[in-house]
Amino acid sequence: MKDKTKLFFGKNPYSAKDDGAFLRAVRENVRFHAEHNPKYAQILEHCEFSLDELTDEADLYKIPVLPTLYFKRNELFTVPKEKLVLEATSSGTKGQKSVVGFDRQSMLYGVGAAARLFAYHGMISALATNYIVLGFEPDGRLGLGAAKTAYGVTKFAPALHRVYALKKTEHGHAENREGVLDALLRYEKQGLPVRLVGFPAYLHILMIELRRRDISLRLHGRSMVILGGGWKQFSGEAIDNDSLFALVRETLGIARENCLEFFSAAEHPLPYCKCKNGCFHAPVYSRVIVRDAETLLPVPNGTPGILSFVSPLVTSMPLVSVMTDDIAVLHGGGGCGCGIQTPCFELLGRANARGVHTCAATAAELTGGKRT
Amino acid sequence: MNLIHGKRMDAEESKRELARIDESVLQSLASGRLTRESVIAACDALSKKLNGRAYLPALVSLGMKPEKAETELAEYRRMLSREYLESWVGREFGERADRSFQPMDFGRPVRQTWAPLGVLLHIAAGNADALPAFSVIEGLLTENVNIVKLPGGGDELSLRILEELIEAEPRIAGKVFVFDVPSSDLAAMERLAGVADAIVVWGGDAAVRAVRSMAKPDTRIVEWGHKISFAYVSGGAAAESDLRELAKHVCETNQLLCSSCQGIYVDTDSFGQVVAFAERFYPILERAAERDPLPDDPFRAAQATLSLYTEELEAANTNKRVFRGKSCGVVAYDDSELMPSHTFRSVWVRPLPGERILRTLKPYKSRLQTAALVCGAGETRELEEALVTAGVVRITTGGGMSAHYCGMPHDGEFALRRYMKIVSYENRPVIPRTKEE
Repeated sequence: MKDKTKLFFGKNPYSAKDDGAFLRAVRENVRFHAEHNPKYAQILEHCEFSLDELTDEADLYKIPVLPTLYFKRNELFTVPKEKLVLEATSSGTKGQKSVVGFDRQSMLYGVGAAARLFAYHGMISALATNYIVLGFEPDGRLGLGAAKTAYGVTKFAPALHRVYALKKTEHGHAENREGVLDALLRYEKQGLPVRLVGFPAYLHILMIELRRRDISLRLHGRSMVILGGGWKQFSGEAIDNDSLFALVRETLGIARENCLEFFSAAEHPLPYCKCKNGCFHAPVYSRVIVRDAETLLPVPNGTPGILSFVSPLVTSMPLVSVMTDDIAVLHGGGGCGCGIQTPCFELLGRANARGVHTCAATAAELTGGKRT
Repeated sequence: MNLIHGKRMDAEESKRELARIDESVLQSLASGRLTRESVIAACDALSKKLNGRAYLPALVSLGMKPEKAETELAEYRRMLSREYLESWVGREFGERADRSFQPMDFGRPVRQTWAPLGVLLHIAAGNADALPAFSVIEGLLTENVNIVKLPGGGDELSLRILEELIEAEPRIAGKVFVFDVPSSDLAAMERLAGVADAIVVWGGDAAVRAVRSMAKPDTRIVEWGHKISFAYVSGGAAAESDLRELAKHVCETNQLLCSSCQGIYVDTDSFGQVVAFAERFYPILERAAERDPLPDDPFRAAQATLSLYTEELEAANTNKRVFRGKSCGVVAYDDSELMPSHTFRSVWVRPLPGERILRTLKPYKSRLQTAALVCGAGETRELEEALVTAGVVRITTGGGMSAHYCGMPHDGEFALRRYMKIVSYENRPVIPRTKEE
């Protein structure tokens, strides 16, 4: 625990110095889960993994890596459910959702790590701020990780008012285009900083709408755009973020350097902030491993593969070695030139057979057609 | 891009055409049918024109891989030839028997003829190669007027094929109206649906549901939905050659077609025998996959690996066995659930004793398409009957799952017949003219 505390409460979230605390904390985390989670212990045994193999950071890839798909289909809690203080589900683009849960300790470390990262990127402010949340309004019934993250981000500068692009109604969430536009005009008049946080697709829709109505605003100089998540069902309309941020500058008057992009996953709740050179740098709390798409062994830097992470952050579930369904390339430390010295990754897209059309029935179609 | 009256039109022009589609369709109907013979002649002319030198570069420029373009082109040549089309039509309709006959309970002779439904609206979801064009050709062969809603992103190949047909037979221009409107434009969709006698929809549940909700009760819906296919192996000693053929088919189609084998049922209730079969089939599939390698694509490979690797982790706490290599995978399960595979050479194996075929598969009724039957000669008839009773509409050998022959029914139907109706005429007495007059 000493190592983990040292790791998570250190001052510089991108420190390149390491005295072995990370590896020790990971070993301790694997041991903890193996001891308290029989299902996880079975997985380790099935994969013929033993902690003795973990003697160097170069061995981290050997910890059996659990794909997000595993959490979409299986529950794997190490602590009893009543100890969970936060449950979140992934947004489930294809219908399946992971349920992940965090205990008090994981939350504490996670929020601490996020706060340090957000502070590093200049996101913590004492000025009262108005928020446009480009995503779902939190809802008792909806455990969407994305909604919680977007809402959570509104805590890093005191929120005067929040308006949601997807407003909760009696029948689920509804688009709130007029509400958002009214709020923006009101916020400009108030003259306080405004933060737009959430999905890039919704920001794009908003920018197009403002342009269509010939509205051009000059928001407070300390206003920000904070984006996370992909284009989801809007992928057909995806534009590159440079063009999107140029639009933001033109329509809202927010400078490029005040537009931040984050990568995060329900199964790996650490924020990765995109640097000015388009790279997501690993903080001290995690290591990034890009794996061969067939063998799952680490690939050399610069080679595309499946993005995976190792972190000792979470105690409630064995999220110590997890694999996303994103394809990425890893670059070694110091090479990107932005000043942050840790290794970084670039996202290339989702694992998916592209341009493939099938006329075979899907699982949903088969189970939908089945009488139960 | 829109194609109306034989001309390509931009969105503005097509809006005007959309506004007067009722009138255009009425005019087209009033101008008389374009005979099947004229359509066959146009298709045959195009078939003869489709040589590799002129058309391969065109297909490649539309994004098709050269090898695929070559096989597609050969396929188009065959399927558009007079010989093929006449044989197909003959298979579906027999001799055009419009001779009159005397019903047993009716005092006068009658005759019955096939007639077009009238106006078809073709909706092809996704971008399967030139599907909209071939759907329209079916509509033309049945002498219908055809309205097409192109899939999102358009379909240049279909437009080119239709333009070539119009060049060969200019009267086709009056029978084909191609609109490039998005499905989200409900007003446009409803307008197009409103003038159609039948809506022909290709695609999954979402597409079919959207059409059902949009179509008025007086409009027939012809659904070509998603289907599932599998193999059924009975008798311990399935011949090696049958399994090799099946593995080859899995690699050739990558399990993407509705006729592709998603998995293999073994006639047993023992999980041990299922595992033994999976263990036997895995190296056969691996050899087939190595002989027919997929192009390097980390995105596709990652999707397959993530699915199979997740299964492997789940096998730590559940009753399943995973055989996974670089190029393919076989998963043995202890349940009999009918599921799609993870595609790209990943096959499931499940137990299904012969006497439980009907009970297990009946719930999937209209989703079932092809079953490859690998069994001893003595069992064939009984197993065929059980599969067909459950809902299977096509029974093949191991290697024949995605083979196609001229006149083959489509998902249990004669496709052209679905676009026609049968009209009954009561014969009027013909008064013979006398020489004196």
